[in-house]
Amino acid sequence: MTGVTEQTEYSADLAGVFVESVRNLGATVEVIKKSPETLCVSLQKATDGEQFVLLADPDFLEPELFDLFRQDKRVVSQPTKEQLSTIHAGVTDAFCGVASTGSVCVSVSKNLTSPASLLTRKHIAVVDAGTIVQRPRDVFSAGSFSMKNLNRSFSFITGPSATADMGPLVIGVHGPGELHIILLSGRDPHGV
Amino acid sequence: MGNINDYRIKPRQVADKAVQGALQEAIGLALDVETEALRHNTQTFNQNRYIAVQKIDDYEDLKQRARNIKEESIADLPDLIGTLTKTIEGRGGHVFLAKSRTEATGYITNVCLSHRARLVVKAKSITSEEIGLNHELENAGIEVAETDLAEFILQVSKEQPSHIVAPAIHRSRETISELFKRNFNTDLPLETGEELTRFARDILRKKFLSADIGITGANLIAADEGAILLVESEGNIRLTSQLPAVHIAVAGIEKIIRRTKDFGTFIELLAASGTGQSLTSYTSILEPPVELPVLNLNGRTDSKREFHLVLVDNGRMQMRDDEDLRETLFCIRCSACMNSCANFQAVGGHAFGGECYTGGIGGAWTLGTTGNIDKAKFAELCTGCSRCVPNCPVKIDIPGLNAVLKSRLMEHSGGPSFQQRFFSDFSKSADIAAMAPGLVNWISNLPPTRAIMEKVIHIDRRRKIPPFANRTLSKQYLQYRKADYPAQGGETTSSVVVFADVYTNFNNPGVGMSTVRVFDRFGIPVKLSRVFDDGRGAQSQGLLKDASKRAGELAPYLVDLIGGGDEIIVMEPSVLSMFRRDYRTLLSNEPQFERIAAHSFDPFEYLEKLTAEGHLEINRHLNITSWNTRHIFYHAHCQMKTIGAGNSAVDFFSRLRFTVDTSNVECCGMAGSFGYKKEYYGVSKRVGDDLIDQIKNALAADPAAVILASGTSCREQIRSELTVPVYHPMEFLEQLLA
Repeated sequence: MTGVTEQTEYSADLAGVFVESVRNLGATVEVIKKSPETLCVSLQKATDGEQFVLLADPDFLEPELFDLFRQDKRVVSQPTKEQLSTIHAGVTDAFCGVASTGSVCVSVSKNLTSPASLLTRKHIAVVDAGTIVQRPRDVFSAGSFSMKNLNRSFSFITGPSATADMGPLVIGVHGPGELHIILLSGRDPHGV
Repeated sequence: MGNINDYRIKPRQVADKAVQGALQEAIGLALDVETEALRHNTQTFNQNRYIAVQKIDDYEDLKQRARNIKEESIADLPDLIGTLTKTIEGRGGHVFLAKSRTEATGYITNVCLSHRARLVVKAKSITSEEIGLNHELENAGIEVAETDLAEFILQVSKEQPSHIVAPAIHRSRETISELFKRNFNTDLPLETGEELTRFARDILRKKFLSADIGITGANLIAADEGAILLVESEGNIRLTSQLPAVHIAVAGIEKIIRRTKDFGTFIELLAASGTGQSLTSYTSILEPPVELPVLNLNGRTDSKREFHLVLVDNGRMQMRDDEDLRETLFCIRCSACMNSCANFQAVGGHAFGGECYTGGIGGAWTLGTTGNIDKAKFAELCTGCSRCVPNCPVKIDIPGLNAVLKSRLMEHSGGPSFQQRFFSDFSKSADIAAMAPGLVNWISNLPPTRAIMEKVIHIDRRRKIPPFANRTLSKQYLQYRKADYPAQGGETTSSVVVFADVYTNFNNPGVGMSTVRVFDRFGIPVKLSRVFDDGRGAQSQGLLKDASKRAGELAPYLVDLIGGGDEIIVMEPSVLSMFRRDYRTLLSNEPQFERIAAHSFDPFEYLEKLTAEGHLEINRHLNITSWNTRHIFYHAHCQMKTIGAGNSAVDFFSRLRFTVDTSNVECCGMAGSFGYKKEYYGVSKRVGDDLIDQIKNALAADPAAVILASGTSCREQIRSELTVPVYHPMEFLEQLLA
C-alpha cells in the first residue's frame, strides 16, 4: 500500500467515528463531496427559512469553496453591529474535527468565525474530513495546530450549548442551540 | 423537605465555619432543605463520571501524566510565572501578580475604573469568590453581571456556591422557579427548565451586548505560549472573553503549567472527571489579547483589545512550602471528590464547605487561602472513606489532607477532645471491657450511661453501642485449637495469619473464627496473630502521631510474619486499607510499607488468588444446592473498593452460581466512629438511607435474599434500620459449608 492510500483508509475510519460521535451529542452531520456546488446545496438546505445568514470568511478552507453560496442574497459577510447581534444562523469553517468526541475546532481569529459560531442560534460548521484526529489531545500535536499561519486561539465545539443549572438538561443557552456539521470528503461520501 | 427560599437560616449566615455553631447550623440547613436536589445532581455527575472515564482507554496513565505535569509545574512555579509574564507582555497583554486578595481586587477595580466601566460581565470563577471581587467592584459603583446560569441564580438568591463546578447544585427547578417569580416582575411562565433558561438568557444577552469589560477565570494557563484554557457548556465564557474589548482573567498561580501542548492531557480528564462528559460544549484555548477585531456591540469606540491576567497568590506560595498542603495546588477543580463523596452528596458545600471552597479538597483550600484553620472545620465531614482517591484526576490523597487538617484543628483547639481520645484509644477501653463484657454491655446501654456518654464524649444516644463479645477472638481461637481442631499442615505451600484487629477481636470474634474454620476446611494452614491496634482509630480522629506510633509498633511484627512465609488475612476493611494505603505515610518507611501492602489480603481476595493460581478448588468442598435462595445482596466497604478488593466476594459467590447484586453507594455513612458522633448522627443516618433503600428493594424482590457486608460499621448501620440478618461474607460461607 502506498502512503496516500493508507492515509485515506485511516481518515475514512475516523470520519465514521466522528459522525457517530456528533450524532450522540444531539447535533446533526452530513458528509458531502468537497466542491462549491455540493457545499452550496447543503448550506442552502441547512439555512432554509433563515432571513439572513452570517458567513464568516474561512480561516482554513479555501475561500473559493464558499463562492457559490456567497451569491445567495441572504448571505451577509460583512455584518453591521445590528446584524451581528441579531442574525440567527452562522456559517463557519473548522480547522479540525475530533473523532472520539465529535468536536470541531473553530478559530478565534481576525475573521468573524468565533462570533458567527457563538452569537447565533444555529451554527453550521464546515470541516474537511482529512483533518479529523482521533482524540482531543491529538489536536495539540496535529499538523494543523502547529501551522504558522493559523491563529492559535480556538474553541473545541462539542455539540450545542447546554446547561443543567435550572434542573433538567436544557439545550441552547448563551451559545447556539443547534449545531450542524458538514463534513467534506474527498472520496465518495456514501463510503463513510 | 422544606423550602430553601423560606428557610430560617440563609446559607451565607453559616458560610464561615470558624463561627461557633455554624457547621451544625449548616448541616441542619442542608439536611432540611437541600439534600434532595444535591443527591440527585451529584449522583448523576458521579454515575456519568464512571461511564466517561471508562471510555478513556489510558485513564490511569493519563492521570499519572497529569499528576507529573502538576508536580513539575508547582516545583518550577517561580520560573513559570516569569516565563508567562514575558510571553503575555511580549504580545501586548498585562500581567499582575497579586500577593493578597486586596491587591488583586484593587488592581481589577482600577482597570475597570480606567475604562469608565459601568457594567462588567463575569464568567464563573471560584478564585474571584475567594478574593471577594464582586463586592469590591460594586463598592466602586460598577455593576457585575454573573453570566453562568448557576451563578446568576446565586446572585439573585444571595447564596454562596455549594459546589465548585455547579454552584447552584443544591437547588431544584422548583425552588429556582419560585425564586425567580419572587424576584422578577414578569408575565412569562417560569416553570420548565427551558422557560427558566430562556428567561435568564434573555436578561444576560442584554448584559453581554452592553458590557464594558469581561472577567473570566482560567482552568489552566500555559507559560510557553501564554495561553489560557477555559472550559464551559453554556457559551458565557466565550462571550465574556470575546465581546467586550477588555478581558481580565483572574486565576490562582497554581493554574500555570509549562506547555500549551500539555492542555491535551488535561482536557479529557477535566470533562470526564467533572460533569462526566467526553468534552463539555466549549473548551477554549485563548492566546489573548485575541486577534478578533473589537466588535463594540456595546456602542463603545474601543480601538483595540486589551488583556489583563491577574495571578493570585493569596497564600499559595506558603502552601507550596507546606509539606502537607502543597499537594492541594495540584487540584484542577474538577469536583470529582465532591460527587463521589457520600457525605457531600447528602449535605453539599453549604455544610461541607466554607465561604467559597467546598467538599473534600475544600478544607485545604480554605486553610491555604485564609490562613485560618477554624474556617476549615468542615473537613471533619471527611470520614476518610477514601472514595475520592481513585477518582481524583491528579491523584491527590484528599483523605490524607483532611487527616492533617483534623490534626491541626485539634492542636489549635488545645489538644484532642474526650471524644477524639475515646475513639483513638478504643483498644484500651476494649481491653478493660473484655474483663467483664456482659457487665460493660449492660451498663453502657443504660439510659443514664448513654446520657453521660452523650454529654462527655458526644456519642449519640440513638446509636446502639456494639456489644463486646463474651469471649475475645484470641480466647476462642486458643480454645478451638486446643480442643476442636489442632493446627495442621495443609495442601498449599504458603500459610496465612488471620490478623486479630481490635474490632474483630473484641466485638466480632465470630467473623474471625469463621475465617479460621473455613480456611481449615479448605486445608489452608492458618494461625491467628497477636492482638494489635493498627492505628486506624487514632488516624480517623486526626491523632496522626499516635497513629504513626501504633503503625510503627505493628509493622515489624507483620514484616516478621511475612518473612516467615505467611500472608496476612485482614477481616476488617478499614484495617486492610491502613496496611495497603495509609501506612505509606504513617510508616514513612517505603520498603516496609511495600512489603506489608503486598502481603495483606481480604479473605476472599486471598481465596480468589489461590483459585486463580490453581491451588484451590472450591466446588470440591461445597454442597450448596440445598440453600434456599440464589440471591445475595452485597455491600462492599468504601475503603475496600478504593484498594481494589471490593469485588472479590462478588466474584467468589458468582462462581458458586449465586446472583450477587451489589450496592452502588459510595459509603454506608457510618464510617467507623463518624456515625456515633452526636454532631454527625443526622448526616450519617441520611447517607445510610440510600443503602437501606437498596437493601429493601433486594428483599422485596426476594425476601430470602442474603444480606452481606464486609465492614463492621456497615453492618451496624444496616442493623440500625433493618431486622434482617446481616453477615460478613465469611460467616455466610461457613454456613454454606456446614
